[in-house]
Amino acid sequence: MSTIIEMKDIYKSYGRGEGKVDVLKGVSLTVEAGEFVAILGPSGSGKSTLMNLIGLIDTIDSGTYTIDGVDIHNQSDRLYARIRNRKIGFIFQKFNLIAKYNALRNVELPLLIQGESSHSAKTRALATLERVGLGDRWQHRPNQLSGGQQQRVAIARALVGNCPLILADEPTGALDSKTGQEILKFFQDLNAEGKTIVMITHDPHIASQAKRIIRVEDGLIQPA
Amino acid sequence: MRPVEILRSVFLSVTSNKFRVFLTSLGIIIGTFTIILVVGIGKAGEAQVADQYSRLSVESITIARARGSGVTTTAVLSKDEALAMPESLQNVESVGVSTRISSEIAAGAISTAVTIQGINEAYADITHLEPLYGTLFTDEDSLMRSRYAVLGYNVANYLFDGDIEAAIDQTVLIKGASFTVVGVLDRIGGSGGISTSVSADSTSADDMAFIPYDVAIKYTSGTTRSGVSSAAQVSFVALANDIDSVKPAITEIQEYIEDTIGSADVYSVTDAGSVLESAQATARTMSALLIAVAIIVLLVSGIGIMNVLMVAVQERTREIGILKSIGAARPVILAEFLLEATFISAFGGLLGAGLSAIAPWALSFTDISFMPSVDGILLGIGFSVITGIISGFYPAVKASGLKPIDALNYE
Ligand SMILES: Nc1ncnc2c1ncn2[C@@H]1O[C@H](COP(=O)(O)OP(=O)(O)OP(=O)(O)O)[C@@H](O)[C@H]1O
Ligand SMILES: [Mg+2]
Repeated sequence: MSTIIEMKDIYKSYGRGEGKVDVLKGVSLTVEAGEFVAILGPSGSGKSTLMNLIGLIDTIDSGTYTIDGVDIHNQSDRLYARIRNRKIGFIFQKFNLIAKYNALRNVELPLLIQGESSHSAKTRALATLERVGLGDRWQHRPNQLSGGQQQRVAIARALVGNCPLILADEPTGALDSKTGQEILKFFQDLNAEGKTIVMITHDPHIASQAKRIIRVEDGLIQPA
Repeated sequence: MRPVEILRSVFLSVTSNKFRVFLTSLGIIIGTFTIILVVGIGKAGEAQVADQYSRLSVESITIARARGSGVTTTAVLSKDEALAMPESLQNVESVGVSTRISSEIAAGAISTAVTIQGINEAYADITHLEPLYGTLFTDEDSLMRSRYAVLGYNVANYLFDGDIEAAIDQTVLIKGASFTVVGVLDRIGGSGGISTSVSADSTSADDMAFIPYDVAIKYTSGTTRSGVSSAAQVSFVALANDIDSVKPAITEIQEYIEDTIGSADVYSVTDAGSVLESAQATARTMSALLIAVAIIVLLVSGIGIMNVLMVAVQERTREIGILKSIGAARPVILAEFLLEATFISAFGGLLGAGLSAIAPWALSFTDISFMPSVDGILLGIGFSVITGIISGFYPAVKASGLKPIDALNYE
């Protein structure tokens, strides 16, 4: 098995001076390819912060981070963009869909950014929307969809590029437990297909269905 | 990202919020329109000046009653004294005399207010009055007090309803007296095109009528309505032998006036070149002022454009954050926003330029004349499109430089 995430001694704080908040205080984390990891922890413990660092959405203060063999220290903006596009499917707590685009174009975007033709992007995006159960809703804009449906569009966007690593920040947080369970089942299927999944949750029951649980508390990972 | 897909993103962006696009381009439309208008008005002013003086040769020297409070003497250079100059002055070849009256001129039922100049042959010669039809009257006609009239092109066109040639030998009424039209002048004005009306204030020969000096002078005797002595209404124009004798001729003329009436200050003696130059300088100053006004308008509309964009910037910054987080590189994002800003600005600029096509029509209801010019259109479109592009592009440059998380959380 290859290592997909390798973090050593990561520090991250926000603000400066008096208002400085130390959020991560020396986090080390290794995730092997093919794992299904749940990150559990109280609100404000730094889960989302950690996830944003893993997904190259935010920058680390100190420590080392290697993703799929690439040390991300001091790389070009181009390379970061490329890693986000090819290696990571990020599902945000707040969905982060583009309001003026319909579901289809939102899902097509990662492929179009890769330089795919519009025809092939459309075919693949439609198939992915089909897979998350929104095959008939591709023309709708986010504001014409329910929260659960928007979540699925966001999942389809993370899946469409066939990235090896799926990062999900509380994908079930805003959903009822039945829909949440459906989404979880979906992740388990993806994991069975070989995708590495890192998922944040508040819910110990959801977390227990992952293969491994990492507990974050007070900016540190608690020993298992 | 393929260029066609970037274009599609721009298209979706523009069509998804037409109202925002409209608000954004409004400032650009107004800015472009104003600049074109202002440049056109300025150009028309300069062209008018050039027209007015195009009749003067560079060898000509105007001798006009000096204006201003400094002039106290009522001494006047008589016509005969002025016309005697070529004989006694070495560098002066001929002297023209003219006087102005304002009058109605009527042919049958049609009449219009017009400036009428009473002139001698030399004046017509020096100012290049050329008949298109018929002839000019002579100095003999003037001595005989023959009531002959020569009409400017626009005047004939107006009085005879377009049939200019028919004006010859017709009778027109000026100050209640009948005059026989002996000639119609060739058209001079380049800027205005053929005018269907006559401007009473115009100093273009197209808008004037000419009668013999000795006939005209009796209408100016006494004091005019405005209280200015009639002497002010008589002016002379001298022609120097050649361009090199203009300067010595001016000196000679000034000395001659001093010797004749005791003071040289009563008349200002200027050569055509400097008259034209100062008039053009005035027109240019006007243009510059007008352009300054246009730039202020554009700055104000630029602030308007900025403002509209600032309102949209939160939404757009989040969008840029999303694009970055799914792997769009900065150049792609910048290309998209640059194209969008260019598109909106070009749209506004062209619309503003299109709108300026109605300017000649709209201004025809006023006394302001307008001359469309490529310069004005390029300046108008160029300036406002650049303002639009900068104000549309700048927020994108800033936003795309943020970390994805900061762009996503932008408030
Ligand atoms: N941009 C920021 N500026 C300042 N403080 C921040 C910022 N982002 C996060 N924080 C702080 O960092 C801490 C951890 O935040 P984070 O979002 O990682 O928590 P979390 O574990 O995801 O919580 P939740 O379960 O509620 O989502 C919080 O105290 C938060 O206030
Ligand atoms: Mg969180």
